[in-house]
Amino acid sequence: MSFLELSNITKRFGTFEALRGISLSIERGSFVSLLGPSGCGKTTLLRIIAGLETPNGGNVVIDGSDVTRLPPEARKLAMMFQSYALLPHMTVLDNVRFPLRMQGSSSTADQRRRAHEALALVKLDHLADSRPRQLSGGQQQRVALARAIVYQPRVLLLDEPLSNLDARLREDMQIELQDLHRRLGLTTIFVTHDQEEALSLSDRVVLMRDGSVERDAPADVIYDDPGTPFAADFLGAANVVEVSGDPSAVRLADGQVLNISAPDDTSLLVMRQEDLRLGGDGLSFQGVVEARVFMGTRVRYVVRVGDAKIRLLVARDAIVAPGEQVTVTIEPDRVRWAHPRRDR
Amino acid sequence: MVRRFPASALIGGGFILLLILVFMLLPLAIVAAASVTAGSFLTFPPQGFSLRWYGEVLASTAYLDAARTSLILATAVTASSVVIGTAAAIALHRRLLPGTSVLSALFLSPLVLPTIIFGIGLLIVASIYFGGPSLVALWVGHTVITVPYIVRTVAAVLSDADPQIEEAARTMGARPLQRLWFVVLPQARAGIIAGGFFAFNVSFDEAVVALFLRSPGVETLPMRIYGQLEFSPTPAVAAVSTLMILLTILLIVAIERFLGLRRVAG
Repeated sequence: MSFLELSNITKRFGTFEALRGISLSIERGSFVSLLGPSGCGKTTLLRIIAGLETPNGGNVVIDGSDVTRLPPEARKLAMMFQSYALLPHMTVLDNVRFPLRMQGSSSTADQRRRAHEALALVKLDHLADSRPRQLSGGQQQRVALARAIVYQPRVLLLDEPLSNLDARLREDMQIELQDLHRRLGLTTIFVTHDQEEALSLSDRVVLMRDGSVERDAPADVIYDDPGTPFAADFLGAANVVEVSGDPSAVRLADGQVLNISAPDDTSLLVMRQEDLRLGGDGLSFQGVVEARVFMGTRVRYVVRVGDAKIRLLVARDAIVAPGEQVTVTIEPDRVRWAHPRRDR
Repeated sequence: MVRRFPASALIGGGFILLLILVFMLLPLAIVAAASVTAGSFLTFPPQGFSLRWYGEVLASTAYLDAARTSLILATAVTASSVVIGTAAAIALHRRLLPGTSVLSALFLSPLVLPTIIFGIGLLIVASIYFGGPSLVALWVGHTVITVPYIVRTVAAVLSDADPQIEEAARTMGARPLQRLWFVVLPQARAGIIAGGFFAFNVSFDEAVVALFLRSPGVETLPMRIYGQLEFSPTPAVAAVSTLMILLTILLIVAIERFLGLRRVAG
């Protein structure tokens, strides 16, 4: 049995089914992302693990004991919120000391020492006597992080903690989070709607959709082989193309035949933007350039094939004007196949 | 860019401001002026200048007793209505009880119901069940009419507070009483102070309920002033009124400093 075990969790809000039977096993020390669009149930699931919501059905088991009916204060987990949720009337040090004080496990001097250590871990020890209001968003974020790790929680739950930060600070915090995770080995569950964040931070991505798990796989696997059209679309950067004809002679929408065979006749062709090239050897098809967008180190092309639009991300040296006919190629071993989930 | 207003709007606005100042402050100014008269009658303009009526008031046991009664009453009322009002506001804010909207209307009803009717009712209840009017009956009456102020002010600050702070405290192991003390009461603090100030002031100068619950041993300052005005209107009435105004101003300044300082430090 895994460290954190969710079995068949269901949750309804009135007539809305927020979670439709979620089962997950999470290993000790892993970093898992719950990814999905808003309303998919990822935050509800996190709140059920924290104990802030009670599921209508199913069980939450942590380290071998069933905590489904335990209130949050008895679970020894930490949760970091989008708003940071610092206590405005206390100093930074008292905020970080707060969980130790509530749990009353050690002397005041010891609590202060541990709070200072946690603040040092997030490089904010020099601001111990400030008030949260005097800190920047990024600093408040790190205080919240120090407060979450100061009591060695069994699981660290993060609810879109980076979404209020600007791009630069976000990147810094992502690195800091990964670094802390490596050093402390805390089992971490991270909720986000940002696929890049999920892919870059976690060992494992659980993609959710409408209260169910759409795809659950290591980050590199889910990126390379999304498996379902929704996953391919949500993880971005992939083209999902409907094909027709029998599996051994795959046809694109405009009738071009590709020299490749599909696993079966419900398959959808998945091609990552960066795996596609203009010209060259490999599996190829024709299209017309519809748009060209400069993206810094690379250029994005949109190529029309019949009524399908294929996006490419290629090096800057290839310059083709909109309206031109092009040959798009891909290495046959880069082609992936997706299948719509049958339970929908 | 600075927005420019037409001259007519400025003049109109200035005129309204002037009217407000005149109607709010002029009566107070006249009372204060009348209190320093050297004459023996309550007149305006005052005749000469003297503080003799202040001396008179401060030497009068009737006034001092009434002032002490009022201060004790207002302090007790503030304490009881802060406790009841804060608890009610927290319960209403969280919709802990069934029929929250009905309860909420009930808690605010003393603001709109005629105080005189409430005074009559309270007198009857006190006479039937509690052996007639008393300071305790007055305390109960004032608590009822001041609770709505605290419910309003506390509910207002709670609805602005971040609910995630308490959830965060729960995940960190804070039990219900710890959350009340370390999270909810600090969040409600500004509302409690403001509401307590209202409650103190309302009780301190309340005359209608006090009039009905008047009994030989119980006379508050407003009742004393009213009685004096009715039977022998000397400038002492103006002097004691001016002292009441000064006390209120002092309270406002203290609250402002207190809450203002909190904003700076917090």
